[in-house]
Amino acid sequence: MSGAGRVGAAGAPILTFEGVVKRYGQLEALRGVSCQVNRGEVVCLIGPSGSGKSTLLRCANALETLEGGRITFDGADVHAAGADARRVRQRMGMVFQNFELFPHLTVLRNVTIGPRTVLGLDRAAADERARALLAKVGLSDKAGQHPAALSGGQQQRVAIARALAMEPALMLFDEPTSALDPETIGEVLSVMKALADEGMTMVVVTHEMDFAKRVADWVVVFDQGRVIEQGPPKQIFEAATVQRTREFLSHLGWHGESIAEVAASE
Amino acid sequence: MTFHWSVIWEHADRFVAGAMLTIELTVLTMLLSLPAGLILAFLRLSRWRLIRIAATAFVELFRSTPLILQIYWVYYVLPVFADIRLPGLATALIGLVCNISSYNSETFRAGIVSIRRGQWNAGLALGMTRGQAMWRIVLPQAAMRVLPALATTWVSLFKDTSLVSVIHVEDLSYVSLKIRTETFVILEVLTAMAAMYWFMGYPQAKLVDWVHRRFKVAE
Repeated sequence: MSGAGRVGAAGAPILTFEGVVKRYGQLEALRGVSCQVNRGEVVCLIGPSGSGKSTLLRCANALETLEGGRITFDGADVHAAGADARRVRQRMGMVFQNFELFPHLTVLRNVTIGPRTVLGLDRAAADERARALLAKVGLSDKAGQHPAALSGGQQQRVAIARALAMEPALMLFDEPTSALDPETIGEVLSVMKALADEGMTMVVVTHEMDFAKRVADWVVVFDQGRVIEQGPPKQIFEAATVQRTREFLSHLGWHGESIAEVAASE
Repeated sequence: MTFHWSVIWEHADRFVAGAMLTIELTVLTMLLSLPAGLILAFLRLSRWRLIRIAATAFVELFRSTPLILQIYWVYYVLPVFADIRLPGLATALIGLVCNISSYNSETFRAGIVSIRRGQWNAGLALGMTRGQAMWRIVLPQAAMRVLPALATTWVSLFKDTSLVSVIHVEDLSYVSLKIRTETFVILEVLTAMAAMYWFMGYPQAKLVDWVHRRFKVAE
């Protein structure tokens, strides 16, 4: 159902959420969320702060436990008893809002630490892989620096390289540009765009509606722990059927065609 | 009033031997208390409640009673209870290590919990085990952060080793007080003892000040 109406190069499902429930004490962060990510797709999760988007990402790679529902990655239940969470995480790269680079390591070591400790790559192979990735995100000259010496945008590009170094099958982005200065947002988004163009499967929690509209194959709208609407970006941004979606978009100053009147009337 | 400073020179070799033992005790105690403190900190962060309680009880016992009592206790009570009779130096070491590792464990624990959740998550998200995330990511950062506190404990420890003199361990304090009793030259001997402690302690205190400046928490 959630995959209905998808067009383009969408492949087989790789990550599926079925009725996912997550509670923190009394607070119900996710109240039965269902959606699906197909191989090669970019899926953007949008919605107000606290609506459960980031929580869903952390459930996807088992950084959080579930209270209900099911998450399937590559055919296997991520949260089943005896499921190998580490194996899942190795194949799902994650990029955090606050970068979370390791401040005690150089940029190069930040990128090599995953392959070295988890995949058991030797130093030379890990270094070679890391240098290629740093070149790819445009930061070859920063390899020997510590993260503190880098701008926010540069740190986030290193974080992307760090995640890619594990050669994941899928990348999770948790509000990757929300902590950035406006002038450095673009450099991170363009790295992400290039990644999407290469065919990387990506799940992106974002408030960058322009990015969602241009890059996403599928957009999922969250509100208060529920998916209130999902569809291709053209539908969400130009012909949202749910009132709350239109309100959210107009609140962000999005002047899509169908919500122009709403925005103008404010 | 005449002074008898010559007494100091006559007993110089004993003073030096005492000072060496003081240094030895300080270094050995810290070398043992760093890993012991780390292990205690891990136990206090254990997921099993019983282990947490046992470790906490140990730490709170040794933090909340006087060191001199602990040293006496190991010296007099342990042999009775456990039928263990150790040489004085070993006894002193046990008392000091129990005490200092308790303080170190609190220091390490504070350092570990001060590392934000996101750093753990970043390690785990790469596929690391909890152990790998602890050793490769959390602990190196925590250690840098608590270095100033450990350095402060070190300087206190250096001075507190003087308490082992009560169980006849021949450190600088014991030797000085013994020479005083033998010679009745009180002012000179106590002054020499103070000077020796100061000349050894002051550079350490300065080094600690430097460590505090150098390793100020910076994100």
